Amino acid sequence: MFNLIVIIQSIVSGLLIGGIFALLGVGFSLTWGVMKVINIAHAAFGLLASYIAYWGLNLYGIDPILSLFLSLPLLFVTGLFIHRFLIQHITRSKDIIVASMILTFGLAIILENIMLLAWTPDERLITTSYSSKAIFLGDIIIRISNLLGFILSIIGISTIYLFLYHTKTGKAVRATWQDPEGAALQGVNLQKVSMIAFGLAIASSGAGGVALAYMYSFNPPSHNLWLIFLFLVVIVGGVGSIMGSAISGLLIGLITGLSNAFFPMQWINVLLFGLLMVILLIKPEGLFKK
Amino acid sequence: MRKKLFRKIYGFNILIPLFLIFYSFGLGIGAEKPIVIGGSLPLTGTFSATGKWVERGYQFWAEEINSKGGLLGRPVKLLIYDDKSDAKEAVNLAEKVITVDKVDLLLGGYPGTACTAVMPVAEKHKMVYVSMGGHMKSFSQGYTYSFGGPPLMGEWWYLGFFEWMKTVPPDKRPKKAAIYTMNNPIGMALMDSIYKGCKELGIEIVIDEKYNLPLTTADPMITKAKQMKADLLFANGMFPDGVMTIRACKALDYSPKAIVQGIGSVIPEWTRELGKDGDYIFSGTSWHYKLKYPGNDKLIRVAKERFKEDEPPLYFGFGYAWMQTLQQGVEGAKSLDQTKIRDWLKSNEVRTIAGNFKFDERGLPKPFIYLTQVINGTVELIWPPDMRTHEPVYPKPPWK
Repeated sequence: MFNLIVIIQSIVSGLLIGGIFALLGVGFSLTWGVMKVINIAHAAFGLLASYIAYWGLNLYGIDPILSLFLSLPLLFVTGLFIHRFLIQHITRSKDIIVASMILTFGLAIILENIMLLAWTPDERLITTSYSSKAIFLGDIIIRISNLLGFILSIIGISTIYLFLYHTKTGKAVRATWQDPEGAALQGVNLQKVSMIAFGLAIASSGAGGVALAYMYSFNPPSHNLWLIFLFLVVIVGGVGSIMGSAISGLLIGLITGLSNAFFPMQWINVLLFGLLMVILLIKPEGLFKK
Repeated sequence: MRKKLFRKIYGFNILIPLFLIFYSFGLGIGAEKPIVIGGSLPLTGTFSATGKWVERGYQFWAEEINSKGGLLGRPVKLLIYDDKSDAKEAVNLAEKVITVDKVDLLLGGYPGTACTAVMPVAEKHKMVYVSMGGHMKSFSQGYTYSFGGPPLMGEWWYLGFFEWMKTVPPDKRPKKAAIYTMNNPIGMALMDSIYKGCKELGIEIVIDEKYNLPLTTADPMITKAKQMKADLLFANGMFPDGVMTIRACKALDYSPKAIVQGIGSVIPEWTRELGKDGDYIFSGTSWHYKLKYPGNDKLIRVAKERFKEDEPPLYFGFGYAWMQTLQQGVEGAKSLDQTKIRDWLKSNEVRTIAGNFKFDERGLPKPFIYLTQVINGTVELIWPPDMRTHEPVYPKPPWK
């Protein structure tokens, strides 16, 4: 009985967290896949949304979910500007991946320092009336904040999926990703499409940041930790694969949960990163990349 | 007439330069060369939040001593470099202040990893080094110039808790303990006092697990503790994993008789961010602003007036206390000779805001730690009884 409850609880908690990692990872995967831009500042933008949510909650009593109505458009527009004035200039580089990593690393440092100035290095925690409340299913609990984060994740990933597969601009994004020259010949404005994709990716990081802030405390350097999970989600799921990122996030959550139940807890990272190495050896393009 | 005029001019010409020369000399003699105390602190990077408070503690001490006429009659000047929260950089900067800047005294660093790395440098150059140290391991290397004044010893962290627990009637003590510990040197250092204390009080350890940081979820941990009916929980972590554990306890409605938390619960963010959920958590500390030692009232006032802090942060006090130890070493030795300072510190008692200490051959005082409990959003002192600021709340009330 003891084992079964712990196992189920571990799986449930792991899946809920995995869904949130997926939400944060999906935009990272998109910019990497479409533009060959590895945005090291992706998690820092997510963290910015966490701080906006924290501010909204503590200064005006606004629920963190509602703060997204402000932070998502703000991040989308910021993404457009960053693409127009920074990213576009490095797309002429011979090695876009390396150039983008250096550029966005600098951007992450700037963002971190802005957050340090605005919010100090103190640890912050989003504490709502439902932060420690849970739904009980027998002895198993589902934390309301984790559930909200998970729902946010489903909405966020579905929105990006619908955009990519069911809108004209989204199809142009995919066409650009699969064959940039062919897409250009078909009249697709590569820069415009890339700019929208980048804006969308940055906005999705905001949703992921708020979902993560429901579960974890944060301070300005926290984005560095989150970034590790982003790489994990994208490499396991396959660069540019939306559904791959979603499944990969859940898989990582599941492995974390099962490790909690069956192995000593200090093995979790060994198992996770061991898995990453095995995947890189066997299927370097990711598990779900077609 | 001409003679008189000549004498006047001559005398004037001679006297003015002579006056100026003597005046300048006089100034030169009166203005003592400052005593330079140098080292590094993490002023940017991961540990900067705490590092800045250590710096403020140092600066407040320097201001205070300068206003009282200085150290050995000479003004004090601090030379603090930023090691960017990197222990290797702290070592490089320790070498720099000793060999290039040729400071008179060495400043203690932060955190324990930096102190552990700088202690052999201090030993090599025979410079007295007063800091928190890096737990017992760093004080067991045979260094003779390093002092923990006061130290932060993981190995002693829960001594206060178990000493107090001995005063609880045996039938009311916890029977089963669940221990979750971060898998790093700080976490490992905390285990010593738990194993000894549980053994002494006959508390059975039913869970003893380690986790790597960052902790992704605490729900399964607390589910296990609840299933095992552990009525004492040791959550040996920092702030981020600490709050996750407490929130999981509340979500699962798990209320053991006592929750003892490692490092997170004594920092101001704990009560500010967790609110009432952070209440009733036990922990340990080597300094607290409510300790009845002279000087703490001053720190409370300065923290409030200058930094708008209702309670002086922990490392503001530590920084000040380390300088008090160094100051007494210098004043006791009546010299800047490092060996004389060391020898004085090894054979005399120092009085600080954290307590009165006599150091052993390792540079450590007798094992001590103050037991704290968060009560109504304030970190209160529970043990030793003569320092108690509030009656302990035990057993922990159920979650509301």
